[in-house]
This record gives sequence, C-alpha cells and structure tokens, in this order.
Amino acid sequence: MPTLLQPDILARAEALGLMARQVVEGLRVGDHKSPYRGFSVEFVQHREYVPGDDTKHIDWKSYGRSDRYTIKQYEQETNFIAHLLVDGSNSMRYGDGATNKLEYAKLLTASLAYMVIRQRDSASLRIFDNKWRDELPASSQMGHINTICHKLEAAQPADKSGMGPLLEKLADRVTRRGLVFLISDCFDDVQPMLKGLQHLRFRGHEVVLFHVMHQDEVEFPLDGNVRFLDLEGSEELMARPHLLRPSYLRVVQAFLKELQRGCDASRIDYVRMPTNRPLQAALGEYLVRRLQYSKKR
Amino acid sequence: MSLLPGFLAPGLLLGGLAVLVPLVLHFFYKARYRKQPWAAMRFLKLSIEQTSRRLRFQELILLALRCLALLLLAFALARPTWNAISGGGRGESIDAVFVFDTSYSMGASDGEMSRIDRAKIAALAVIDNLPPNSTVQILTCADRTIHLGPLTPGNLDQARQVVNAVQLTSLAGDILPGLVEADSALDRGAGSNKEVYLFTDLQKTGWDRQSAAIRAKAAELRQRCTLIVVRCGNPEKAIINVALVDLTYPGGIPHTKSRLPVTILVKNTGKNPAKNLTVTLEVDGRSNEKETATIDEIAVGQTLPITLTAKLEEAGARLLTAHIQSDDLPGDNRLHRLIPVRDTIRVLVVDGTPDWRDPKQSGSHFVQNALLPIPSDQQADYHIQVTTVAAEDAGAGLLGVHDICFLCNVPATNTDRPGTPGLSPEFVSRLSAFVKEGGGLIVSAGENIEPQSYNVTLGSRGARLLPFDFDEPKTAPADEPYKAAPDSVESMSFLARFRDEPFSTVTLDADFTKVIGIKEAERSGGRVLMRLANQLPWITTRLVGEGEVIVVGSSFDTSWGNWPAKAGSYLSFLQLTLSHLASKATRGFNRQAGETLTWHPTEASKGFELIRPDQTRVKLGKATGGENGEKLSVNAPDTAQAGLYRFALEGDDLPSGPVFTVAPDLRETENLDALTDPEAEEILGFKPVLMLAGPDTSRELTTERSRREWTVWVLVLLFCVAVGEAFWAWFCGKSW
Repeated sequence: MPTLLQPDILARAEALGLMARQVVEGLRVGDHKSPYRGFSVEFVQHREYVPGDDTKHIDWKSYGRSDRYTIKQYEQETNFIAHLLVDGSNSMRYGDGATNKLEYAKLLTASLAYMVIRQRDSASLRIFDNKWRDELPASSQMGHINTICHKLEAAQPADKSGMGPLLEKLADRVTRRGLVFLISDCFDDVQPMLKGLQHLRFRGHEVVLFHVMHQDEVEFPLDGNVRFLDLEGSEELMARPHLLRPSYLRVVQAFLKELQRGCDASRIDYVRMPTNRPLQAALGEYLVRRLQYSKKR
Repeated sequence: MSLLPGFLAPGLLLGGLAVLVPLVLHFFYKARYRKQPWAAMRFLKLSIEQTSRRLRFQELILLALRCLALLLLAFALARPTWNAISGGGRGESIDAVFVFDTSYSMGASDGEMSRIDRAKIAALAVIDNLPPNSTVQILTCADRTIHLGPLTPGNLDQARQVVNAVQLTSLAGDILPGLVEADSALDRGAGSNKEVYLFTDLQKTGWDRQSAAIRAKAAELRQRCTLIVVRCGNPEKAIINVALVDLTYPGGIPHTKSRLPVTILVKNTGKNPAKNLTVTLEVDGRSNEKETATIDEIAVGQTLPITLTAKLEEAGARLLTAHIQSDDLPGDNRLHRLIPVRDTIRVLVVDGTPDWRDPKQSGSHFVQNALLPIPSDQQADYHIQVTTVAAEDAGAGLLGVHDICFLCNVPATNTDRPGTPGLSPEFVSRLSAFVKEGGGLIVSAGENIEPQSYNVTLGSRGARLLPFDFDEPKTAPADEPYKAAPDSVESMSFLARFRDEPFSTVTLDADFTKVIGIKEAERSGGRVLMRLANQLPWITTRLVGEGEVIVVGSSFDTSWGNWPAKAGSYLSFLQLTLSHLASKATRGFNRQAGETLTWHPTEASKGFELIRPDQTRVKLGKATGGENGEKLSVNAPDTAQAGLYRFALEGDDLPSGPVFTVAPDLRETENLDALTDPEAEEILGFKPVLMLAGPDTSRELTTERSRREWTVWVLVLLFCVAVGEAFWAWFCGKSW
C-alpha cells in the first residue's frame, strides 16, 4: 500500500463517500446523476409511446388505468471523472514534516483519488506549477490508485505557480462535466486564478478548492531579526517580524477574504486546509458538510 | 541673572558623548539575521511597504528619546545651576566671602539690637549652614576694605571668632571697595561654588556714590559667584539720629583766662523729629567742668547751633569734646576738636605809608583798629598785641617774636618808590622762613606796590610767597566801581561766612576803585578765596610750608576803595583771618576718619606706634625722611575709628607725640535712607539673592540653595523621558 494512503484517513473518507452534487457526464453507469435519460431506477416522467420504442418499457399499469400506451422514463445514473489538480510550485515546499504543504497536498490528493476510484468513478491527476508538469489520464481501475500515488510521491516542487492560464486551458480541454479538485496554497495572482475556476464552473464542472496553508503563513508567529528567503525566487527581505505582524495579518486576511468571496460568487467549494490540522479531521469535516448539503437537496 | 546655566561638575558633561552609542548602533550596527525560507513573500512585501515609513519614523523617535535620555543623564550628573560658575547647591562645598558693611550707620539700633549685631548673627547662621569642606573669608568694608581672615579659610571656628570681632568704623559707607576685594578673594577659593555675602544696611549713600562702578563690578561678580545681599536692620523702622556736624569758635581767637564761646552744630538727619536731647561740651576731658544744653525738639533736616562756652586756662592745644545723647545712631554723637589756646597773639604790622603825626592817615590805621577793637587803656591786657612799624624799621628780628605779619602797602624794595622805603632783603629772607615755620602773612595792595618788583622779591622769581604773581593794577570806571562777590567763596573756606547774611550784604556794599592785577593763569600753588563781581581775583591764598600767605588785592586803607570803612565786612575779615592763621598750629591734628595722620618727630632711631582710641597699638615703624632738610615724618593711615589718637615710641607706655582728633565721616549720616529691593537691583543691574538678616536667614539660605541647583528637575525630566521611551518602545512593538 502506498505510503500516501493512510488507513485511518481512508476509513473515515470511505465511510462518508464522495458524491457528485450536480450532474456529471460519465461513460458508464454509475451512482451519480447524468444529464442523459435512460432506464434505471430513478423515475423521471411518462411519455406517449411511439413506434420504435422498446415495448418492454410500456407501463402496463398506466395502460390499465388510462387505456393509453405510455412509457416510463428513468434518470440515467453514470460515473464521474474527478480531476485532481495539485500545485507543485516551490511555494508548496514550506513547512516541515507533516505540516509541509506539498506533503499535505499529496496526502489529500491520494485520499481523494482513492475515494473516487473506490466508488468506481474515474480520477485523473495533474501536477502543475506554471505549466502542466505531470498528467495522468482518468481511470477507474483500482490499479490507477497506485499509479497516482507513485506519481505523487515522485513529484518535486519547482518553479512559481501560475494557475490562471492553466485552468483556462483545462476548461477548454475537458468537455465532459465532472469534479475538479484544486489543491494549492493559491500564492498566485488571485483574479486570474478565480477567472480560471469560473471558467471551469461555466463548463459545468463542480469545483472544489482545497486551500492548503501553513500555520506560520496565517499567524506569522516569527520573532527576532529574520532574513526571509523567497522559495519561488532569489529575493531576500530583512525584517523584524514582530513589528510587521499586524500589517502582515491584515494583508493575509484581506487575501483570504478575497479568495473566499470569489469562490462563493462562483459557487465553488472553498475549503481551507491548514497543515497543522490532521487531514483526517479536515477532510472528514468537509465530506460531512458535503453530505449534509446533498441530503438537503 | 544669566540665562545660561552653570554646572557644579562640568567635567561630567563629557558623559553626553554617550549619545554616540545609540547613534552608532542605529546607523552602523549590522544585526545578525537568521535565515527563514518563506513562501508568502507577496504578503510580506506588502506589509513592509505599508509599515516601513511608519516604523522608520517610530525608530527615529525612539532613537531621539534614547539620545535625549543620555544627554539629560549627563546634564544631571553635571549638576546644573542657574548661573554660571557659581553654585552652592546642596551638599557641595562653598567658598564663601563675607563682606561686612562697617560704616557707622550699621551701628544704628532698632530697639532690639544694632544692625551690625544682626549682621553677625546672620553671618554665624550662614557659617553653620555651610556644607562640609567649605571655606570662609571675611572682609570689612566702609570706604576701604580690610581682610580680617581667618588665616585658614577652611577653619570655620576661627571664622566665627573673626565674625564676632568685627568692629564698626567711623567711615562713610562705599560698597565698591568691598565688591572689588571680594572679587580678589574669590580667586583664593579653589572650588567652583562661590558665594559672596554682603551684610549691609543698604544705605543709599554707600551705593549711589559710585553706582556705575558698582554695577560694573557686580556684573563681573555675577559671572563668578552668587551674590547674596543680606539686609541688616528693620527697613520698617526709621531711626532717630542727630549728628554733631561741626564745632566752631566764631567769637575770636582762643586765649587763656577766658571762656571761649563754642558753637556746636547739630543736625537731625533722621526721618523723625528728635526730642529731649542733651548736648555737652568738655575741655580736656574734664567732665566736672562740662557745660550742658538741652534741645527740646529738633525737626527733620533742621540744623541747630548750640552755643556753649569752654573755659580756657592753659595755653597750648586744648581738647574740646562735644557729645550728644539719646538717639539711635551713636557713631556721630561725639566730636573732638583740638584748638590752639594762646596767652597772646603777636601781630607785626609793617606800614608802607606811615604817618606818625596823624596816625589816622597811616595805611595801617584801619588794620590796627580792627585788630584792637578795644579802648586804648585796655590794649595792654588784650590777647592780641600789635606792633606797627614802618618799612625801614622792619627788622628781621621782629619776625622772631611775632606770630602774624601784615604788609600794608609796603614797597618790596627801597627802589620801588623813590622816597618811600621798602622791605630790606634781610627781612624778606627771614619772612620766607617765618612763613614756612608756621607764621601767617597778610599782604594788602596799594599805590606802593610795584608788581614786577613784588614778583621778583616775594613772587615766583623770589621768595615764592605770593599765591600768584602780581600784574598791573586794574582801575574801575569812576561810575562803576568794582564789587566783591561773596558767593565766589568756597563753602569749605574759612571765609565761608561771607556767603551768609549779614556778611554777604555788608561786603557787597563795599566799592573798589582799584585792585592789583593777579596772574591767575600762571600755576603757582595759590588759590582764590574770593573774587570780585567781574571775576577778577580779590583775595588769594597760598600754603607755604607750615604757614600761609593771604593776599588782598585791594588796599587796607581807603585809597583804593571804601571797604576798610565797612566794619561789618572788613573787621570780620581780619578777625576770621587772624583766627584762621592762629589756629594753624592745631589744624593738622584735627582729622576726619580715614585720613592719614602725619607727625614729625625728632627721634629717627626708634620705631613708633599709634595708640588708637580703643587703646590698641599699631606699629608704624621708624620715621622716614630727614634728608636734605626735610622733616622726619611718621604716617598712620589706619584711622577708621573716630576719637583720639596718639603716637608713642615702641615699648613706651606713655605717648610721646601730640594728640590727634579724628571725627566721623559725616557723609555717612547725611542721608540715612535705605535702598529698596528694586533700587538695589537697579544699581546692581540684576536681581541678586536678597534676604533679611534675622531668625529665618538660615532657612532662606537653604531654600535658595535648593532653588539654585536644578538637578532634581533634570532628573524628573529624565524620568519622564525614560518612561516615555519605555512606553513608546512598547507601543511600537505592540499589535494594533
């Protein structure tokens, strides 16, 4: 079993399941609503029989009551494709051990992939910085989990992130509606990124943004004289963090609010994933919330 | 007071250089920065952009506060004071100079004690209040300064003894010498904290006399020390004072077997009328023969002549002592005067125009009548014996038995006026010696006077007896005779009475048709006693040796005017002149406080001492001079006390020299007004520390010293700055 697949996380996630909250377009019959009408268990409507229809779909009970031939139509249920987009830029290197943002993102991605494939849906993987660095096509084979995990384990951070154009291209390229999971610290230009996400939404995808941030980046608890080395470049800044903290927190909060507001406006799920919080709890909470939302509908 | 501060420990101002430490640290110190890889660089940059200006501003304020704190610390350690150099802050040793005003107005009593006693008490309080290791120098000041000690300025016990021994003088106050000497005394102090204490009654006369110089010296002192003026005496209480101004005997020449009328002038110089005063007069200290008069009341500013008589029994120098009782200021209540008492005054009259057949036509007629205003049968017993001779009979030997000589219209030589005999060369030669030895010579003009001959014989080219050389006679217009100008007499002259009535009017009535010309422009040692109304010199005088020559520009007969017929003026002139010349024998023995006493002893080998009125002796050393015919002389400048002084040989119990009388300097009591505080400040040119000698002196002093040093206020400011710095540092570091 790949190290990225941790049983305690998977057990809880598998129990909660990952259901598409909107119609998705799959190639096979599955558990999720499809835009196509078919013959399944979920009744949708009656219609007049016309020659050519399969007679086995005639509703004989309705004929007995109304002396008219009607055919019962059912909603076709299909599987979905989950597009797992993982930020592999240098900014994701921040953090040590379990709180490393990239490691946290890898764990999250692997867990999501497992959940998707486990329920016979398909999952694809894309690792990006300012370009698509690694891609795995969608597959619902169980063996695909191992492939994804290996790819994730092998992924090393590089370059600066530039999500906006990539998301735009992805929206143009992936025509079937599915689920898009974007796992990133979002240290990028916010507006292009939101625009890319909106494009995906426009294409009918359900988009979930897992915003991975380290506690230091949110709370800025540093002290003393610090020479800050830019992880995505060669820039250096010397500062005394305790003097900057108030201002820094204002800037970060403004950034988070802007991101949250942009996602809400496009009905994108915005899930903040602080790396100091156990993934089991953070992911579990999100899945519970998602499940509750689905039942309300 | 200068606005610039002074410092008790100025060297510690160098501590202010510590301000360089924060400055260097701020601008040059490179702190160690630990490296921190960081992803959210964009947030960091934004926050730095937003805060960097504010942080820089805050840091600069913080830096400024820290620098200010260090500067204030150095400032406080240097112990600032309000004026430069001087200090005397709490606990710091002080070099104090005490200047006691010892003019005799300080002897005034306000009922409780005298001003000088208050000064001493205040000075002792100041000494008690001095910080450890302080020094004291004590000066007294009237119109001169004496450094009393102590020998070791740091010996405060000795200083207390010196303070207790301070004595009043009979001098008039003048504060300037005290300030000058205090300035010099400050040089002897090694410390930087200097205080000059002026214990004075702030009497105006002592300050107004040289106010400009006092102001200048005070300004110098102010740069070096703190000037503390301690007012001694109760400014609210006006003192009662009646001064003995003068003691004269206008009635004539003192002679034996007579009672001499003596006029004692008393003047109320106080601010209140004086009542029930007793004036007494003694001769030679014989209190049992004293005469007494009572003054019921004397108004403010009033001068009263009190006439008492002195019984004169013996010839020689007799001591008259006047005394007045019952006022607040004793310094001017006693007045001594030595007068020469003679059995007879022998007068030689040399007549240039004698007329033995009709003496009334003689040139000396009016002189004789004026000198002997008694019936002829009484002239033999009269105290003035007159010998009248013609010029050809005037032998040199006659001068040896006479005290005063008149030359009435006498030609200087036999050739001046053919047919009229003149003075013989022997007589002229002896006349010069006669005057130098103390004789009096009176010369009157007339037709027999040949100016050139007189100048050669008795003037600048001869015996040098004439006050001025003669010039050709001046003749007045027939209808406009010359008139005398009594107002031209100086107030201190023995002819001063001619300024007053009735002598003034009587003299003005006299007409002069002619007067001898006087070459006044040629400086010859003479001076003019009285002028004519047209400013021509009329009566002139010259001191020659111990004697005096008086020249009258008009004639002693009526040939050149009617003055001899004006008895009120002419007679008075001759009597005053005779009295003046006769009293020369004791004139040098009546002095005023502060003047030098000079005596001419015959002993040259031994040293002399001065016996002062308090019977203390002051060594004077040996007599000096005695060469080239010059007399030996002993000088005694230390005559600050009024009273009787005597000279004595060193070691002799009995005095060997004459008595000298020393009167108080009456300028001191002419005006007893005291300066107010604003007036004192105006004269000094700044506001000194002014305090009143009394029980609160010590407390006032402590308060003043505390007020002078403002280290405490600097420390308070430093504390505020430190608190501000701490608050600002906290504020800059806190979250908001």
